[in-house]
Amino acid sequence: MVIENVKLAFNAMRGNKMRTALSLLGIVIGVASVVAILTIGDSASQSIKDAIAIGGLDMVTIYPSPGQRNTGIFNEEFSSMLRRDVEGIDVVLPQNSSGGRIRVGQEATDASVVGVLSDYGDALNLEYAEGSFFEAMDNINRRQVAVLGSDVAKELFPDQEATGRYISLFRNQAKNYLVVGVLKSKDPTFNLSYDNSVFIPYNTYGQRFIRTANVGAFVVKVTDGFDTISVSDRITEYLDDIVGTDGYMLFSPATLAEMADQITGTFSTFLALIAAISLVVGGIGIMNIMLVSVAERTREIGVRKAIGASPSVIRGQFLIEALTLTLLGGFLGIVLGSLLSFAVTNLMDWSLHLSYASFILALGFSMFVGVFFGWYPAVKASKLDPIEALNHE
Amino acid sequence: MSDHVIALRNVSRYYVMGEFIVKALDGVSVSIARGEFTSIMGPSGSGKSTMMNLIGCLDTPTDGQILIDGEDTSGMSEAELAFIRNQKVGFVFQQFNLLGKLTALENVVTPLLYAGYKPRERRRMAIDALERVGLADRMHHRPNELSGGQKQRVAIARALVNNPSILLADEPTGALDSRTGNQIMELFDEINSEGRTVILVTHDRELGLKAKRQIHLRDGKIEV
Repeated sequence: MVIENVKLAFNAMRGNKMRTALSLLGIVIGVASVVAILTIGDSASQSIKDAIAIGGLDMVTIYPSPGQRNTGIFNEEFSSMLRRDVEGIDVVLPQNSSGGRIRVGQEATDASVVGVLSDYGDALNLEYAEGSFFEAMDNINRRQVAVLGSDVAKELFPDQEATGRYISLFRNQAKNYLVVGVLKSKDPTFNLSYDNSVFIPYNTYGQRFIRTANVGAFVVKVTDGFDTISVSDRITEYLDDIVGTDGYMLFSPATLAEMADQITGTFSTFLALIAAISLVVGGIGIMNIMLVSVAERTREIGVRKAIGASPSVIRGQFLIEALTLTLLGGFLGIVLGSLLSFAVTNLMDWSLHLSYASFILALGFSMFVGVFFGWYPAVKASKLDPIEALNHE
Repeated sequence: MSDHVIALRNVSRYYVMGEFIVKALDGVSVSIARGEFTSIMGPSGSGKSTMMNLIGCLDTPTDGQILIDGEDTSGMSEAELAFIRNQKVGFVFQQFNLLGKLTALENVVTPLLYAGYKPRERRRMAIDALERVGLADRMHHRPNELSGGQKQRVAIARALVNNPSILLADEPTGALDSRTGNQIMELFDEINSEGRTVILVTHDRELGLKAKRQIHLRDGKIEV
């Protein structure tokens, strides 16, 4: 019976192509906008998250405030203290950095000089174009070794391998740091541009450039299986207790990503709700065409009643016709909305994340509109008096 | 089961027209036996259409009782009346009243659809009915591709397909030329001779006399 009714609905649509197309337009536009807005919103949010994720979604960086220099909290002991007191921390890597001039003979370039422990390379999954990261012994013995970012290497050693050669840092000392590795080019994060950095052992840095035991930053790596956001929340709680909220700054890509997600999510939901209004308008169009259809087919309704169609059968026939219309509109809308999303994300250079939830939402809403606005015409048809309907011209 | 397939007991049907009450049917009692070929005759406005609509359960009486196949239809819901129309009555109209967008076969299948038969059964029964009226070769044609006589044959097939107790024909030859009309009347004779009750509603005296029994109506009452 349903199949026959769907066939009848398509028959009716075919009989009035132009009218059908016009009355479907409202639903098509409504569904297309909901799908496009949610999909574009998802894609935007995903590309923001991707950008943030480069910073390492399992990383949290703590920057002590300048006022905390001499309180004796943010020294090297802090690493083990934090690991002991806060659950879910894999490693805490102290890091000091400053800008400096790097020279090789007559060539010079400006870069960040970063003092880190030897396990920094592994913790951040750094990849090497040449050589490798320095060893623990290099740090313990305060050796003058360096790992170059790709831009620094390109600048100073344009045509040759950098590994095995010497560079000088800050002062015009003659070739005093041995290059042991060169990094592959890596996307910058919020805290530093790898390509334009030079990494040297933490202790070497301390000995050469700062005299205090204070640490510039701590890079915290969250243990696998722990949620970065909750670990970062625990760190915040812990530090607020010790140094107060002004004593440090905490940077967590995961937290930022979540915020970005929430903002784009709220925004696209809001826009989709506005677009949903056009679906309601589309529904009124459906009600209109269904009323016309019932009026035009009064005689048909009379004949159907005479040969045994009960009121519920007639109601079902017209409801299914309205549903077929709105679902067709819904499908066309999804196709149009997806094409629109494809065009926009292409233009913005985002990766397309088709929002399947919006497909289901849009189809569900179309069906609801079909039943809601198709109900009255269908009931009207089912209540027609068979004799009057049969005599209708 | 009663041997009277139709029994009207003191049936009235009044219409309110503005300030007047029109007594379209006024206290009519009549019984029609199973297998009878009866014509209901009378001039325009005599109440014959009203009587047909009441027997066909398209309308309900203002007063009185109507029994179809022994079943009292008074107080039945719309859905129950639809069921009686589907199962017990087959309609044939002057204007054929085929569904224009459907093929002959689909038209004949429609009552079976409402009766709840499975697709394969529906198709078989509909083809049988079309064969019965000699139109099996036209089953995939739409009404606008058929002649008047063919359309009426499709309508008769549709009326018979659900094997109803009563075939109700309202001026079935009114839109046909006399030769085709005669063929249709012969078909009714055949259907009747197979044991089915046929009721012919007509204002045409000559046509009405072809039935074995005549009921004459005038001003809403049966003329004796």
